[in-house]
Order: sequence, then C-alpha cells, then structure tokens
Amino acid sequence: MLRIGLIVVTVALIVVSAALFLGRLLAIWAVMKTARPLNRTDRLGERIKSVVEHVVLHRRMFRITLSGTLHYFIFSGFVILLIDIVETVGEVFFPGFTVGRILAPLVDIWVILVAVGIVLALYNRIILKPKRFEGSDEKDAYLILGLIGAIIVGIVIHDSFFPFVAPQVFHVADPVARAHFLGFAVSRLWVALGWTGPTAASIGYALGYLIDIGVVFAFLAYLPYSKHFHIFLAVPNIFIRNLNPQGELVPEPIDETMAIRNFHDFNWKDIADLYTCTECGRCQAVCPAYAAGQPLSPKMVILKLRDALNERMAENTLDDPNTASLAGGVISPEELWACTTCGACQEACPVFIEHVPKIAGLRAALLEDGVIDPNAQKVLVSWDRQGNSFGQPARKRPAWAKNIDIAIKDARREPVDWLWFVGDFASWDPRVQRLTEQIAHLLERSGIDFGILYESEVNAGNEALRLGEYGLFEALAQKNIKALEAAQYRRIFTTDPHSLNALKNEYGKFGFHAEVRHYTEAFLEWIDEGRIAVKSVPIRATYHDPCYLGRWNGIVKAPRTLLQRLGVQLVEMPRHGAQSFCCGAGGGRIWMDETGMTDRPANQRIREALALGDVPFFVVACPKDVSMFSASVTAMGVENQIRVVDMADLLAGAVGLKTADEAILALASMATVSP
Amino acid sequence: MKITVLMKDVPDLVEDLELEAGQLLVDDISFVVSEWDDQALEEALLIKDEAGADVTIVAVDTGDVDTMLYTALAKGADRAVKIVGDFTRRLTNRTRAAILAEYCKSESPDLILTGVQAIDDIDGQIAGLLAGYLDIPHASVVREVHTMDAQLHFIQEYSGGRMAEFTAASPVLLGIQAARKPPRYVTVAKVRQLQKSATLDEVQVVLPSTPGLTVRRLYKPEAAGHAEMWGDDADTVAEHIVRVLGEKKLLRS
Repeated sequence: MLRIGLIVVTVALIVVSAALFLGRLLAIWAVMKTARPLNRTDRLGERIKSVVEHVVLHRRMFRITLSGTLHYFIFSGFVILLIDIVETVGEVFFPGFTVGRILAPLVDIWVILVAVGIVLALYNRIILKPKRFEGSDEKDAYLILGLIGAIIVGIVIHDSFFPFVAPQVFHVADPVARAHFLGFAVSRLWVALGWTGPTAASIGYALGYLIDIGVVFAFLAYLPYSKHFHIFLAVPNIFIRNLNPQGELVPEPIDETMAIRNFHDFNWKDIADLYTCTECGRCQAVCPAYAAGQPLSPKMVILKLRDALNERMAENTLDDPNTASLAGGVISPEELWACTTCGACQEACPVFIEHVPKIAGLRAALLEDGVIDPNAQKVLVSWDRQGNSFGQPARKRPAWAKNIDIAIKDARREPVDWLWFVGDFASWDPRVQRLTEQIAHLLERSGIDFGILYESEVNAGNEALRLGEYGLFEALAQKNIKALEAAQYRRIFTTDPHSLNALKNEYGKFGFHAEVRHYTEAFLEWIDEGRIAVKSVPIRATYHDPCYLGRWNGIVKAPRTLLQRLGVQLVEMPRHGAQSFCCGAGGGRIWMDETGMTDRPANQRIREALALGDVPFFVVACPKDVSMFSASVTAMGVENQIRVVDMADLLAGAVGLKTADEAILALASMATVSP
Repeated sequence: MKITVLMKDVPDLVEDLELEAGQLLVDDISFVVSEWDDQALEEALLIKDEAGADVTIVAVDTGDVDTMLYTALAKGADRAVKIVGDFTRRLTNRTRAAILAEYCKSESPDLILTGVQAIDDIDGQIAGLLAGYLDIPHASVVREVHTMDAQLHFIQEYSGGRMAEFTAASPVLLGIQAARKPPRYVTVAKVRQLQKSATLDEVQVVLPSTPGLTVRRLYKPEAAGHAEMWGDDADTVAEHIVRVLGEKKLLRS
C-alpha cells in the first residue's frame, strides 16, 4: 500500500515537473533560435578545461572566500543529492535496491555540509548583508534556501524511518543499516518514542520521502522560472563562454548593424546569459559607474532584460513592434552611457555573462536614434572629419615631434624595425605630449630603429566601437590598415592601451595581423636584451593596471617586471591585475557629462592608493590615466602625498635623460647601475 | 507642408586657410556642412517630427556636396536635390541666390529654411536675396519655427536679448539662427547605406548672369598685438590686473 502510493505520487511528480521544466526550456530555446548566430562550440578541449576550472574548482567563486565556500558546500550537495534520489526512489520502486554502504554515508556527510552552507548563506545575507545583493530578488534566495533545507531534513527523516519500514512494510532487510548515520541517530529517538510499528514508521517514512523527493521535483519545476535556473545553465554557459581574445568586442565584420533593439538582435549566448544570472551582484560590486553613483548596475541590466524577456514571452509580444525598445526603454540611456566598458563585471562573473557587448549593442541603437551626449557626439564628428578626438587638423598630429631635436623616421617612406602607433592623447594632450617626447628621447638614446605614420595615423577606433559607432570604427580601422600596409616595419608598439586593444584584437576581422606590443613590454625586452642600461629608481610606488592593458589583454606581468628592473618597490593596491579598478575614462566616458556622479572613480582609486600608507608614487601606463589621475590628485588636494607618474617618467629617470623629471632623476643618480 | 532646406558646404576652419599670390588655395581646403545650415536642417526635421512635413534638401553643386546631401537624407530628409550646372567654388552669394531662385520657382515650397549666415556669407545675404527673387516674405535670426493651422509661428531675435513672435502665411523664407535641439547625430553606417540605396535628384540650372565684384587679392590678417603673459605668481598677476583696470579707468580712487 505504502509503496504503491509513493510510486504513484513519484510518477505523477516526475511527469508534471518534467513537463513544466521542458516546456519552459523549449520556450527559451525558441527565443535563442531566433537570436543572432555565434560560434561557441569550437575548441572543445579548451571549453572542457574551462568548465573544470570554473565549475569543479570554482576559481572565480572563491575570490570571495565565504561565498565561495558556502556555495561549494551547497553546489556539491546537489551532486550528492543524485545519490539520494537514486537510492530513495530505487528502494521504493525496487525493494532491496541499494547504492551500497560506501555511497550511502556520503549523503549524510553532505547533509551536514549543506546545512553548514545554508547557515553561512543566512549569516551572509542577514548579518553581513553585502551591498552587491541590493536590487537582487532576496525573497527568491530565501525560498530556495528553504527548499534546500527541506530536502536535507526530508532525507534524514525518511532515512530514520527506513530501518523500521524496510523489514515490516517492504519485507526486505535494510541494506545500508546504520550507514546513514544521521538517520540512524534520529531513529533512536523513534525507538524511545515507540514510533517503530508499521503504521507509525510508514507515516514517518512517507512524510520524509515526500519532503525529500516531493521538494526535489517541485524544485525542478520551479527552477526555470527562478534565478536558480543557474543550477542547470551555469555549466553550459561556462562551456559556451567567449574564448576569443577578451578585448575583441565584435568577432566578425558587421554588414547591417550592431544595434540591439529587441531580443532577436541579441545573439543566442546573450539570451542564455539572461537566464544564467544568479543575481549574486559581483558585477555590481566592481562596477566603477555604480560605485560613482551613476544609474548603471551591470546586474540590473541583466535582470531588467531578463524580466522584459519573460514578460514578452508570457504576453507573446516578442515580435510586437509596439513594445518598448530595449535600448532607451527597458534600459535607460543614462544607464547605457554610464558604462566605461572596463569589463570588471565580466571578469567578476562566475558564470561568464558578457555585459559589455550587450551594452555596446544597446548603445548602437541609441546612437542610430541620435541619443548621445553632445560632447561625445562632437568627438564622433571629429573622428569622422579629422581622425582625432581633439578636433585638430590631421596634419598637426605629428606636431609634438617638432618640439624635440630628433629626426623621427617616417615609416611610410623608409623601413623601420619598430612602428610606433602614437594614439590621440599621446599626440595632442599637453599633459601627455611631454611623455611622448620622453619616449622618443628614450628610443633615440637606446638606438632603437623606429618610426611613426605621421599624419596617416588616425584614431584606432577602439572607443568609437564601444560607443556603438561600428561604421565609424570600421572607417578609422580601414584608414589605419591602409597606412600600416603601405609602411615597412617589423613590429608595432604603442603607448596607448586603447589603441593596442584595437590593433591587436579588433583589426583581425579585416585581415590585419601584426605583432603589437605595449611600450612596457617593448622596453622590458630592450632592457633585457641589454640595449638599454638603466639605473635603479628606488621609490615606493603602486601601479595602476589600465583596463585595456591588464583586464582586456592580460598584460599584467610585463609592467611589473619592468618596475622590478627599474628597482621600484611595488606596493599593490587591493584591486590590481585583472581585478583593477577603472579610472572612469573608458568607453567614451572621458568626453561625457559627469553630472550626477557622486564620487568619481579616479578619486576612489587615488584614495585606495593613499590608504596603502606612505606610497608617494602612483605609476600609470596609459595616456588617459595620466589625464584622469593627475586631475584627481589636484582636485583632491593631495599633491603632497602622492604623485602620478607615467612609466615613461621612470624610464627617463632610470636612463638619466636630461629631460627627465628632476626629482626622479635625483633619486636615480644616487643609485648604481643595475646589472 | 513642403519644406525646402538650402544647404551648402564651407571651408573647414579647423585647418588654416592658405593663400598663394593673393588667392585662396581652394584645392587644399576640406569642406564641411555650414553649421547654420545644419541647424536649419534640424529645425526642418523637428517640424516634420512634430507636425509632419515633406523635407527637401537643396544644394548647388560646387564640388563634392553628395556626402552632405546623403547625410541629410540619413537624418530623415525625404528628398535631396543637387542643382547641377557650370558652377565653381567661387560663386558669389548673389549668383548662388539666383540659381536657388530658379529652382525654388519651379517647386514652390511652403517654407524655405536656410542658415542665417555662413562663414562665407557673414551678412546672411543669401536668404534676403532669394526672398527678393521669389518675392516672398523673409525673416532672419529666427528660431522656434512651428506650424499651426496652416500658419507659421516663429521667434526672431534682436540684439540685447529682445525678441518678437511672428505669425506668417506660407510661403515664407527664414534664416535660422539655431534649432530647438542640437543637430542630431547620424551614424557613418546609415549614411553609407543611403549612399547605396538613395538617389540624388539632379536639376539642371543655367548659370545666371548677375552683377558682381571680383576679388583682386586676399591678405592674411595682420596681428595688431600679442597677449602679454603674466606668469603664475598670484601677487604679480594681481598687480597686473589692478594696473590694467587702473589704466582703463575702471577703478574708483
């Protein structure tokens, strides 16, 4: 009677929950099929490796120790839960079935671990209350924790009654007697209470069974409608992650438009991203726009899009032209234009959601409708007309070279070993020109055979693309590629990480492939080859990783090794390397209105450096950083505590250039020549 | 409502203008849309957005005006007309107005908008001359153009911040000072797409003979004086300010 009842209930649960689960899955799948195509099933080996790294080893999850640990307990609990399901359903359907005496106690061990995980999760949510949960559906989180708690309670209950049910009702010996140690311990209580007869034990067993298996299948049916769908989607989403160079925003040349207005304009990975999001808020916690009090949270972008998609699926309005545009409607222009495209969100996401391409696509739609910051619009027009963001005549690009007494080779006319792609800021910004001149002096002094493209160089287009202006990016890229192809050089180096990113990662789709180095890499190479002799510059300094160097291009070692060669004592800020914190200039933000910003990211970063205590130098390796951080230090009035210096300043001092900064030169002259 | 917007391109003053033997080196100049004409186009498009209108852009073909016309189409203009004939970059304003009059007579638009001035038409002659040729009312330094009950409402600005509201029956010709909103952005891709899909209507006009003057020689401006640098010492700078104010008799003793 008990068995038949439980079998009937179980079959009913399986049928209903599987139908609900599959129905939902198919509905989402249908949306993914109408989305833009994308190849994310190549490089199988690498994909499996990344799944192992990020699922089995939880690499990104463990960046927050408490959350990583509690998640690992609960996550592994779901794997072990399979043993329990097989065992519990098995013993009811086929009396005498067992998973054996080795697997059975594993269930009990994990019941304890999961319980610890739940307690830690509650501690995290109720006591610690991290800010990153702001905006997340906390009710859903508690519901899920409650369901998981119910399952483990159910497991212990049915295991505790099984020793009595097995012989009296199922008429088999308990094959794992005492192996379920928690159940066994609780069963002593039933003995004391005298609840061991066939009726009492049957009721107890049925109750435990229904709490366990019933909740499992209810969970299955509920999952795809909740944020906990990540239990199923996290693994595939990590599997289909972007394995191309991280800095490549657009993988293929675009014929029509990159604008995203409705859900069909997303690619299928974008749709999967929306349902994989767990609302953990790690992206929000690292977002410079959010930290600056801007209306943008990368988490909320994903959640708003997911909610809109759910609504349109439910109302069958996915193709309805009267629904609000995703760009400007579902996600406001203020949110979209606040993004610095620094990529910290993507780097933090444990399930590899790609926020930046979505934001860039949504921006492209705004741009097509003419919704853009007026200053940024001016810059776009300047790029189109003059090829630079400063609105200066193209032929004045190499004007900085006239300030120095060096004949710089014209790579368009004579072959050079190294082609220096200078970039807009290094060419025009008066604060950065000085550094550009230092670099030229350093190169000449070291006998490096180098040249520039003179007025044939135009802006690399990295920011145009990130503002959503694909057509302009392409036009700029084609101009540069034409000039580069006509020039004779062996390798390229650039002082600008944004140019580096475009040349290295975005020009490939137009058939341009060349070896591109950042100047920190190039100078390190020249020093190690013995072409440049450097004195030690014995300062205590911290180093700021530019987003487009460290995060998007993984160049974090070369600048540090270079500092080491220069004898600099490096003190790291808490956020460094791929986890660096943006200066706030990227993605075109440097030209946009800062109204409404409560705390500029660059100021926050300077405070982070000041908090290190007694670190008087803030080393940067990006022209935009020179502008941003110098402005912050001045605005904050902390010039006597910290100084922003570029790597070029240190190199000039270390080499003993006459034009070097006097303070740095004085420090270097006291030191001996490094080997 | 049929709106015609007159547009032209002018030298991009980002680059210095070069003179040789007293003549402007026109071939070395890069041209951009005249910023006031761009404002006129925006105002026309805003009228279209607000009340519906058929917007035609007209430019005299004095060189490469195609991109300017395609850009206007990409922004939302309905038709682009290129007036072709034996024209050069050295057209006088009077001749240009006569050419445009030739075209406008055949089209009879309800409203003609153009920039109030241009860097090569500081006095804003084109609008006045053309209104004269067409014998229709004209106002310059205009903004906030709206259509209401087949009438045109607009504001004309005067010096000292004064302004006047006008109501006029069409046809009328207005020289636009500024549009209600900054000119809209149009993406490079959209312009390129229109270059492929749209066509420019070419209208032949014979070069009219108009009285005019000939420029004999152009001169570079001569610097009358240079800025005096006072350095960055606050006390010295303060002394200089006091001295200059005193010299200009702006200080009460």
